Amino acid sequence: MAERILDGKVAIVTGAGRGIGKAIAILMAQHGAKVVVNDLGVSMDGSDPSRRPADDTVSAIIEDGGSAVANYASVVGIESAESIIQEALDTYGRLDILANPAGILRDRMIFNMTEQEWDEVIRVHLTGHFSLIKPVSTIFRKQGAGSIITFSSTSGLIGNAGQANYGAAKDGVAGLTRVVARDLGRYGVRCNCISPGADTRMTASVPQSVRTARRQRAASGVSELPQLELERPPEAVAPVAVWLASDEARDINGQIFHVSGGQVGVMTQPEPMRVIQKSSTGPWALEEIAAIFPSTLGRDMVNPSPPAS
Amino acid sequence: MTEILKDKVAIVTGAGRGIGRGIALLFARHGARVVVNDPGVNVDGSTDDSSRPAAQVVEEIEQLGGQAVANYDSVADFHAGESLVRQALTTFGRLDSVVTSHGILRDRMIFNMSEQEWGDVINVHLKGTFNVVKHACSHFRDQKSGSIVTMTSESGLIGNAGQANYGAAKSGIAGFTKVVARDMGRYGVTCNSIAPRAVTRMTATVSPSKREQLPGDFAIASAEGDGVRMAPEDVAPFSVYLASDYAVNINGQVFLVYGNTIALMTQPRISKAIFKPQGYWTVEELRIAMPRDVCAELVNPAPPRDTN
Repeated sequence: MAERILDGKVAIVTGAGRGIGKAIAILMAQHGAKVVVNDLGVSMDGSDPSRRPADDTVSAIIEDGGSAVANYASVVGIESAESIIQEALDTYGRLDILANPAGILRDRMIFNMTEQEWDEVIRVHLTGHFSLIKPVSTIFRKQGAGSIITFSSTSGLIGNAGQANYGAAKDGVAGLTRVVARDLGRYGVRCNCISPGADTRMTASVPQSVRTARRQRAASGVSELPQLELERPPEAVAPVAVWLASDEARDINGQIFHVSGGQVGVMTQPEPMRVIQKSSTGPWALEEIAAIFPSTLGRDMVNPSPPAS
Repeated sequence: MTEILKDKVAIVTGAGRGIGRGIALLFARHGARVVVNDPGVNVDGSTDDSSRPAAQVVEEIEQLGGQAVANYDSVADFHAGESLVRQALTTFGRLDSVVTSHGILRDRMIFNMSEQEWGDVINVHLKGTFNVVKHACSHFRDQKSGSIVTMTSESGLIGNAGQANYGAAKSGIAGFTKVVARDMGRYGVTCNSIAPRAVTRMTATVSPSKREQLPGDFAIASAEGDGVRMAPEDVAPFSVYLASDYAVNINGQVFLVYGNTIALMTQPRISKAIFKPQGYWTVEELRIAMPRDVCAELVNPAPPRDTN
């Protein structure tokens, strides 16, 4: 390794017992960071908490010559999140980086989704992000530095059938990222977002029927993201997280990066694309909208899920 | 005024005041029968039994010769969403449109935001939208038609300081809208979102200086003083359009609507990317490629202040 660009820094990485989180924790440690390896160690349905996944990642880091400590607390709720932060402060005396890829899936079409399936996904992904960011932001604000890396998904940024809960949570994380970037940027703190495409235990939990439907949509040209035939190991996401956590990315704030295999890109932020304005002050009459919309705002507009004939 | 929504039945949430009220009234003017939902709470969420704004809007609609019924449930309750849909079906015999325009604000910088301020806003905006839309979708799927209009905000789509809860909820609603559009489109149902700008009771809690910082590419600084009209009623005509048969193939889109302006928002896409056909990028490579090829033109929306 040419240069350890995270030397002297302390990181919290959630969901670090497996998948993307594990890859990030290990690579951050290789680059000199001391890492709090947080993972509840639950199965995909949230049951059977186990210390094993976090412990395994810590062992891997220590065998590699790095420093890490395991933590098994939930990311949901400020009190629990504070205990993770306290682990970093008690063990290493400081905190510089938060990376929060922890997550679950409960895929279901909207008309079949239960309240519990909704609540669990919103709690873990969206409230989990808030629960950690809020107390971390008070520390980062005081020290005038810090890097927060949130995790979104094209499921919400673009849309993906069968994931109303996950899509809402993940586009919510994108919105949270944009606001936190504006709340904390002036203090020298950065908040950026990664939208990863990786094959992990979590994506393996998507039901076969949903996968088939998505493949069919992609084949019929309805899928909006180019479907590149890439190897998408979770390890491909980690180098981008390391770079964002480093001082070399100190000017990068409020951005969303898509990382999938060998592809790394920055996403556009929503902005007005086409505008219609009346010369007189509003409001529009319905007939006026009906007359002008199809040839202006509606031009080339594609229904992402046209009615089945 | 054409009765473009004649024979249609709509649920409008938060319809006692502001944007929701404007939408309920214009839906009725265009012939729709409307379930006017509003628990009549104050902007801080506390109850105020002295006013029943939903009942007042129903009265206004009836005076126009229209039909409406009031509903006082909080949509933050999952079962309220179900009973709201049932009320439309039992009162008017059908349901064609849902507009979710309810909302609250609890602005606070992220480092001062309480768990409750977070939870209240996420619950009312995001879960409240799910609660109503989910139950409507069960019906729309069987009926093979229906329109859903949600309300998002530039606060989340673009970002606005002091609104981590609201920005997350509203961006979450945009993501929700895009998924529901994909879940329901095949059944002839549409789901679109409007980011409104309007001066209402809700935005009145935002200080004038903050209002001037509203993001956007328009020559617009504040609601008052520069002649730009941002009445809550101005959001209504486009909402009617999205609920009408003119818009049966408009699905999964996000619009910005205020005053005399209607804009189509872009959907996120990859703008600049680096690509390796095999393997993946190492940190050493990214240290060169990220600043040069991916991040060159990015602007920090809140650059550090020199505090020394």
